[in-house]
Amino acid sequence: MTQILLILAPIFFALIVLGTNVSVRNIFTIVFVTLLAVVSLMNFISFDIPIEISTPHYFHSIFVFLDFLLLMYFFWQGVVKKNSYVSLFALIQIILYAVVLILTPSLMSSDILVDKVSSIMYLVINIIGGIIIIYALKYIESEDFTRFKKNAFIALLFLFLSVMNFIVSTNNIEVFFLLFELTTLFSYILIAYRKDETSLLNALQALWMNQIGGVAILLALIVSITQYETVYFDILIKNIDTAYLLPIVLLVIAAFVKGASIPFDKWLLGAMVAPTPVSAILHSATMVKIAPYLMLKLAPAMSGFVSVTVTLIGTFVFFTASLLALSKDYFKEILGLSTIALLALMMSLAAVGTPEAIEACLVLIVFHAISKALLFFQAGILEKSFHLKYVNDINGLINHSPLVVFFILIGFASLTLPPFGVFIAKFMAIESLSNEIVKNPLYAFALVFIALGSVFLTLLYFKVVTKLFAKDVDAKARHVEISAYYTVPSAILVIFLVLGIYISFDLNLLSGAEIIVPVILIAVVPLLFATLLFKNAHRVKEYNCGEKDEIKLSMYYFHMPKYIQKAIIITAILGMWILVIGVLI
Amino acid sequence: MIEMLLIFLAPIIGGFVYGFERIVRARMQNRQGPPLLQPFYDMLKLIDKQAFIVNPYHSILGIMHFFTLWVVVAFIILGQNLLYVIFLHLLSTIFLILAGFSVKSIYSHIGSNRELLAMIAYEPILIMLAVAFFMINGSFDISAIRENPSSIFPLILLFLAFLMVIPIKLKKSPFDATEAHQEIVGGVEVEFSGVFFEFLYMAKWLEYFFVYSLLVLFAGNNLIFAIVLALFTFLVVNLVDNATARIKMNHLIKIVVTIGLTLGMLNLIGLAYV
Repeated sequence: MTQILLILAPIFFALIVLGTNVSVRNIFTIVFVTLLAVVSLMNFISFDIPIEISTPHYFHSIFVFLDFLLLMYFFWQGVVKKNSYVSLFALIQIILYAVVLILTPSLMSSDILVDKVSSIMYLVINIIGGIIIIYALKYIESEDFTRFKKNAFIALLFLFLSVMNFIVSTNNIEVFFLLFELTTLFSYILIAYRKDETSLLNALQALWMNQIGGVAILLALIVSITQYETVYFDILIKNIDTAYLLPIVLLVIAAFVKGASIPFDKWLLGAMVAPTPVSAILHSATMVKIAPYLMLKLAPAMSGFVSVTVTLIGTFVFFTASLLALSKDYFKEILGLSTIALLALMMSLAAVGTPEAIEACLVLIVFHAISKALLFFQAGILEKSFHLKYVNDINGLINHSPLVVFFILIGFASLTLPPFGVFIAKFMAIESLSNEIVKNPLYAFALVFIALGSVFLTLLYFKVVTKLFAKDVDAKARHVEISAYYTVPSAILVIFLVLGIYISFDLNLLSGAEIIVPVILIAVVPLLFATLLFKNAHRVKEYNCGEKDEIKLSMYYFHMPKYIQKAIIITAILGMWILVIGVLI
Repeated sequence: MIEMLLIFLAPIIGGFVYGFERIVRARMQNRQGPPLLQPFYDMLKLIDKQAFIVNPYHSILGIMHFFTLWVVVAFIILGQNLLYVIFLHLLSTIFLILAGFSVKSIYSHIGSNRELLAMIAYEPILIMLAVAFFMINGSFDISAIRENPSSIFPLILLFLAFLMVIPIKLKKSPFDATEAHQEIVGGVEVEFSGVFFEFLYMAKWLEYFFVYSLLVLFAGNNLIFAIVLALFTFLVVNLVDNATARIKMNHLIKIVVTIGLTLGMLNLIGLAYV
């Protein structure tokens, strides 16, 4: 029953925080988040067999009603905001949904099915998501909103947790569709939360692009009902006929849309104008994880062709999104593109489908959420405490706040270096693909994409360090005080990263020495800072070949010609078509 | 026991290789060259120098670069996972790069940035190399690779690609733009002096050990072939170093990535079919 609690409790919490003053709201929120974290953790620990729960019949009527209401709202928004794409896709969905309701499937199963993957997703959603809500408490106070709108922001985030908890528990594709559309609604409302022109434009873009995913799910539903007589994931996957994989491929395309894979990447980059907690919780840590989650669900039903093609598309996007990120300056956009890249990697790992690849995918889902939340927190701090959005405007941050620099460095290191979780996942990814090359040489391309992509990501992260780290010899440190609402959540995430190292040791993902040695090497650095003072060493200024000019350091970018960008998009679209046409033939 | 001794002596062995290399290069240019022990004389001199530092971060990260590289070499000697060794080597490079970024010097920053760029060129080749060894030996463990017979023929294309990596890592012409003494005053090294430079100097020796110990993996369990292969490569690398001029950073990346990746891909696909 803890699953039902996780779905319903956040709705109740949202109602409570809506009408309280700041200090009461903050205390309540912290208590609620702790409760959710404890419940999800207990659910994870006590999990042994998949749990099935059936819902009463009148629930379906409510869902149908909500669905139509939601699609009507989208349609209306498209009309009011004069965006024909939004209205068009809403209209298509209304028609397709009506068709789905007319068709009657005969094979029934239970609506809620919680397996191991769901219980891991609960952890990510409730613990990481919860910490982001705590961070948002302070962040939203510095925005120029009315009291009600500030509280509503926190309430919306709680409601979002409820929807997320539901979407990873459902077994019914119709319900999944409703929840998928609800997350789209959250994206739309929260991106447009500041109500300025760019926010609105980008919100509408997110709205219509995500609706493509909705259309794909509805088409999958129609095909699934006509061919397999069911709307349930488990029956569909059990009865799947490898000669007729169209519903699976359509759902895969929905996953690509939600995961903002190229060519659907525009909406996620646009979403970066939203308040930073929104970027962290929706567009990096939790909501976009629906994409790899869905892929994990579908993996057992994929044939060789679908599996290889999805893997190739995913790793190609991993490589190209990392490449595109090299030309960006806006810190959140850099994080956004690297999120797109890593999501694509997760999806391709899920598609490979071997036990090792699936384990790598899960490790990546969990640790990517932690690291990216940490980095988005720092992006928010830079924005609020230092009024910086662009990497190139940051100068010698270490003189003002060594703590923020430390968090950013740990965040970057945790995405690339041993012994952190994301590194381990990439390591396992390469290992599992190496096993597969013998079966299908095409995997060699996937492997090279992963190798190149991860090198580009390393280059991307560490070139940003140019602007943070250069310490003035005789700097008059202007120390900037940063609120505990910002630093404590960041510190908790760092603790999670360290705990993650212990867990990966416990799970034997790497051998003992392979984990302990880099831990020691990395931990020694701050220890040496603290102990070695170099009292006998003379301090000198840098050698500049006799030049006396003041030096201003800048970060460089890579010029990405238009034709390359176009080529990337065309290749990705081509990949999707190959996927669809391949299963049709 | 012999492994422990080897790990302990690794920097010194690297130092001898470096000293020997200076002689070989000098002879190729019809010069006498320094004595074999010259690197160690340099080292003694460096210890004696007064210590100058720019800031503590810089010095400590330089020292950590050396120690991490030593651990990498130790992992190779102990026969650990090859893929892991390559990533641990990345950690040591990142320490060096961070050191370069931690001072306000243009040369140091350019050097660090070039180190990062050079990574694009060699890292994918090393990863492909590890995967290819895995496909032949069924294991990433270096000890397993050393027990099996030589795999240079099935890996000949990757061997050629690896030959391009050696000059990048050892900073030899034509691929030495990362250090480029005449243009950016040694890049990352520029702000290190005295005893702190010594760590960087020794790290360079360990880099020799690292590269050549990866090279001899191609020889498998054949010791004589390993020695021949190492000597041959050593001569070729130095001959090329003497005979070519430095190329620009962007050319370096283009050449190594296009040729190296193509060779590696062909090799991997070939292995999958055989």
